[in-house]
Amino acid sequence: MNPTTDKQEMRSYLLGVLEPDSKTRLEEQILSAPETYEELLVVEEELIDHYVAGGLSGLDRQQFETHFLITAERQKNLRFGQLLKRYVNSHPFPEVENSAPAKKSLMFSLPAAGRPVMAFSIAGVVLLGVVLLGWLGFRRPPSRWAQQRVEPVVVVTLAPAAAPQVSVPPKGYTLKLELELANPNFHNYKSELFRENTSVQTRGELKIEAKDSRYVVPLTITGEMLSPGDYEVKLSGVSESGGNEFIEKYSFRVIE
Amino acid sequence: MNKDWELSQEAFDALLDWLDSDREQAALKYEKIRRSLIKIFTGRGCVVPEDLADETINRVTSKLKEIENEFSGDRTRYFFGVANKVHLEHLRRKLPQPGPPPTNDQDRIELEYNCLERCIERLPKEHREMLLRYHGAEGPAETEHRRALAEELGIAPNALRIRVYRIRMGLKECLEKCIERANG
Repeated sequence: MNPTTDKQEMRSYLLGVLEPDSKTRLEEQILSAPETYEELLVVEEELIDHYVAGGLSGLDRQQFETHFLITAERQKNLRFGQLLKRYVNSHPFPEVENSAPAKKSLMFSLPAAGRPVMAFSIAGVVLLGVVLLGWLGFRRPPSRWAQQRVEPVVVVTLAPAAAPQVSVPPKGYTLKLELELANPNFHNYKSELFRENTSVQTRGELKIEAKDSRYVVPLTITGEMLSPGDYEVKLSGVSESGGNEFIEKYSFRVIE
Repeated sequence: MNKDWELSQEAFDALLDWLDSDREQAALKYEKIRRSLIKIFTGRGCVVPEDLADETINRVTSKLKEIENEFSGDRTRYFFGVANKVHLEHLRRKLPQPGPPPTNDQDRIELEYNCLERCIERLPKEHREMLLRYHGAEGPAETEHRRALAEELGIAPNALRIRVYRIRMGLKECLEKCIERANG
């Protein structure tokens, strides 16, 4: 079964119109295969989006209203979909450029396109230029730009339950702690660093960042501040009113 | 099942042991089974899927002494069989009526919208952009638009779907907390 069929089948299941045999098979998969369960959740959100956008046919729309919307949880999800659509409509984002032109080779976008000899000549000159620049770059000592790219930073990702060991960073290096968070519930974050239960640094105005499919709050500490011992970072979220709400505690041990 | 039977801590521990010898894994499996059962009962049009899922789990737990030595294979299949029986019995009983449809209270809608705005503003920039761009097209152009966005981000279209889904889940949680705070 291909993913498109799965998606269509799940859609029919959610609307209550899937054939009994397929329904039994799918339900068994929901229980035994985590990926099927997760895919069903995604298809559910997409179905809500299509309903909100007015993209469902008459019969599907009827099934959606009489079968799908039967639980309070799904009614709540529908409200979320409606609010999100309103937000997206009032905050239009520039269109994604169609990637097809980007895939065209340089040669076909040149004025000489359609004249192969001319096109090959221009492409040859461009290629020669690229090779020459590359050779010059290779012969020159590393540029200042290249030197600046090497940032003296040691990055350590901290999860709430873990307590990794971190070596004292070399002189001149800074330690960048990435404090993992489950959800981005605050605009600003505040941290307090403790060494052996004594507060040694407080930082505010920390911003959350996305890293792969996770969230992290980066916290930079100069290497000079660190000496062997047990450290703890207490992270709080700063609410709109300025109040602090404790979120997580992160531990790490600095060793020689 | 004996009508007077109640899920005791001892019985629940026995269920976890049956699911997995590692207690942490067993707890994860239990949660997964319960969530899946709720989804199945919801798919069958049940208004109180949580109650039926719990009833299914209770029945499996009450039968453990009889089945734990005999049953082999995928244990989730046993839950599925019991869930079917629970569902049939549920259909024979009088069906509870669906709850009232969501109200169109304008003040509440505005409060929820303001909360959503705040939650979206708190998203990391790249997640906010991804969300807006992903939902930036509807209708026939939607598929091509999302494919192009995935290509631009250098990920597979399905990976993009999952990422946007996770952003939405985070937003929902943020929205719920914001509404709770606003309602005092």
